[in-house]
Amino acid sequence: MLDPMLEQLLAGFVDESQEIYDRVTRSLIELEKEPAQGKRFDELARGLHTLKGSAATLGLDELAEFAHRMEDVILPLRGSLQPLPAELADAVLRSLDVWMARLRATAAKAELPELQSSLELLSKAKNGRGWAPTAPPSRPEEPADSAPPLPAEEAISGESWRVSTRQVIGLLHEVERLRELRLRVDERKRELERTLAELARLGGALATAEVRALLSNLGRALGGDGEEAADIVASMEDGLKAISTMPVRTVIEPLRRAVRDLCKSSGKLARLAVVGAEVSLDRRVLEQLRGPMVQLVRNAVDHGLEMPEVREARGKHREGALTIRVEQQGNMLFIEIADDGAGLDLARIKDAALSHGFVPPEELALMGPAQLQQIIFRPGFTTRTDVTEISGRGVGLDVVRNQIQALQGHVEVQSTPGQGTRFVLTLPAELGSSPVLVVRCGEHQFGLPMVAVESSRPARSAELHLGRARAQLEHREQLIALQDLGALTGLRQPEAPQEGQPLLIVASQGRRVALSVDEVIGDKELVVRPLPVEVRDLPAYQGAATLARGELILILRADWLVNLERKSESGLAGTRRALVVDDSLTARALHRTALEAGGYVVHTASNARQALEQLRHAAYDVMVCDIGMEEMDGFQLTAAVRQQAQADSMPILLVSARDSDSDRQRGQAVGADGFLTKKDCVSGRLLSEVSAVMARRKGAT
Amino acid sequence: MKAQPREQPAFAAELNELLERRAERIRHKPPEAEEDFLWVAEFPVGEESYALPLDALRAAVPLKMVTPVPLSPPQVIGILRFQGQIITALSLASLLGGRGWREDPAVLLVVDPGFGRLVALDCERIPKPVGLPHARVEEARSRSAGAITEITLPGMKQVSLIELPRLMDRRSSQEKR
Repeated sequence: MLDPMLEQLLAGFVDESQEIYDRVTRSLIELEKEPAQGKRFDELARGLHTLKGSAATLGLDELAEFAHRMEDVILPLRGSLQPLPAELADAVLRSLDVWMARLRATAAKAELPELQSSLELLSKAKNGRGWAPTAPPSRPEEPADSAPPLPAEEAISGESWRVSTRQVIGLLHEVERLRELRLRVDERKRELERTLAELARLGGALATAEVRALLSNLGRALGGDGEEAADIVASMEDGLKAISTMPVRTVIEPLRRAVRDLCKSSGKLARLAVVGAEVSLDRRVLEQLRGPMVQLVRNAVDHGLEMPEVREARGKHREGALTIRVEQQGNMLFIEIADDGAGLDLARIKDAALSHGFVPPEELALMGPAQLQQIIFRPGFTTRTDVTEISGRGVGLDVVRNQIQALQGHVEVQSTPGQGTRFVLTLPAELGSSPVLVVRCGEHQFGLPMVAVESSRPARSAELHLGRARAQLEHREQLIALQDLGALTGLRQPEAPQEGQPLLIVASQGRRVALSVDEVIGDKELVVRPLPVEVRDLPAYQGAATLARGELILILRADWLVNLERKSESGLAGTRRALVVDDSLTARALHRTALEAGGYVVHTASNARQALEQLRHAAYDVMVCDIGMEEMDGFQLTAAVRQQAQADSMPILLVSARDSDSDRQRGQAVGADGFLTKKDCVSGRLLSEVSAVMARRKGAT
Repeated sequence: MKAQPREQPAFAAELNELLERRAERIRHKPPEAEEDFLWVAEFPVGEESYALPLDALRAAVPLKMVTPVPLSPPQVIGILRFQGQIITALSLASLLGGRGWREDPAVLLVVDPGFGRLVALDCERIPKPVGLPHARVEEARSRSAGAITEITLPGMKQVSLIELPRLMDRRSSQEKR
């Protein structure tokens, strides 16, 4: 049973030891390639010594002794002109693993891993199988028993506190909420200013002067409070970021060991170069990145790099180059993992896809290189015929993609035969707020990351190239694709932009698209949060943010907007289209469920005015319309539709919460083709009624 | 000024007596009485009566401030903020496979299906708490493995008890398909 005080200190010691473990591992790997001397060797020796001393301080005698045995193997080599022998480095690395595992098991009160085999390994290494020191140690080492143990400083000095991750995350959430609240205060102030302006316009001078003065003072006070709140939030965010971020290096450094071990076991040679390891990231993001990065690096060595003799024969350096490049742009993080190996073997991917039935032969025949490359992300896909310790089970890249998607990111692969493969992970990097451009499309508002919006401009018909299959815009002497945001999000059929309608030039991943929206509302600083699980897999959205009144706005993903490969519903020939008009959100959802199950493409409108607007731009095969709507009810809408030349023969089914003969008769009188109560709107019944009204209308014409 | 002891209100004795009587009643309540019933929130979906275990219910909130999510599965009504969290509002009638309804839902029930996250389900009216006899619930459950357990109450009244974890499981498996 552990002493409670010791138990508390152990948790800190595990973290401290992990950092030392990482440094010692790195030193060992480097010293395999360079003379065992200098700063690198000192760092190695110091690390082992600290492990020993700290373990002894905490009364972990076996671990102290074990670290001492590692020192025994390493220290005699100090000053050698030769690199560390591989088998010796191996022995110490494996012993370090066991040391760390044993420490963790002690802290977790779990079963302790045995030490004997590691001690034997160290003993063999020390007794010099193929190794002999080329120079005597340059300075005498302290005997182990007289070494002053180094304390686990932070854990016991009282200069730092140990706080659980859960508590910090809880605090982070609260600061995010506070920032949202601060943004809402700003919005309230603007509302107050608008009210004041309106009051001044309406009330003339004297009658409202006193009230306006009061409100004006209130506005100023609110502004002052908002600014102070902004300072507090910014300061809290800075403080929390310092606590909750770590350099990417902490995830990348252990990869050096993985690369080394994989090379040893496979006979390959590789050097890992890292750019941008100093970028600091939220620990939660880093934790999630660890697994995907390990998998991609393992794949690069195992699948990507060729054997040294093959590389030589191909005119490459015997040692393969692996590169990890980390870059942060605004709130987006880009991590590139590249190798200069053989590249993806598309023929093998094709064969494997065919033999394992991943893709039907006819579909496979139509696939281009980019689509074939995407097959590697499918669950269970592997080109290996044998299963090794490293790969071949087909679990890997699908897991990588899922984990990156869970972080609201995505993975891309680019490969050139004979030259190598590059995986690029793109994901949101930070907590806190980021600039978002708010736009309106129909009655929906969306946010676009400002970093992706290059410019905005009004549509000019002279610059539009509208064809049957696609629309394009002349932009800086180039033609770029033109997309209607409403159609992209399935809200309506594609509409050509009206003269003067706002167009946004959105760029991402080297692609550019012109996006037509109904209105640009403005830019805001918003805290973008992940969507709940039920809708998280939707590729269109990065997350959601809270607006001033507490309502949520969906934030679109720029890479999704510029991806023109997805199938547009408008391209589905022969699909029947239904327009559902109901002011109840849930009624619209239910009608949509039923109609989509029947093969309809469904667009919705929450009021009659919006429905008429949609009918002006597009044709529908049927309209399902609620009677009891505000402003303009279903009867009035039906009558209005019957007056429009383009929709006068469209079948209309009226639905109502009330079952009333007079409503039925009135519906018929204004031109409706059928009537159904909402309680009868079970899926099958709605579909059969829709079919019936369509058949009736067809018969009539 | 010297502090004066607060005077006992005149009705204090009466109130104490009332509270004491209540406490006495509770003390004498047979201990198994609570356990004899499964407390549920009962509400209508169209012509039928549905119920959710009361311990899964976190709140009943008005169906407003819901942001629709275009391109989402049809059972998703939208997303909303609840106590600082973003949660999904789902159409119960849609989850149940397409049911008719009498009134457009105006209430969202925030429930915890037991997966560590909350979801909101729409319903036509604010539910009322009802006790279902445990024995009947268990008997009905032994015959059903689905998302709905049909329970027949005395007087032949039928209540469809929603088994939330199974309902959510079914939804996710439908989505995967």
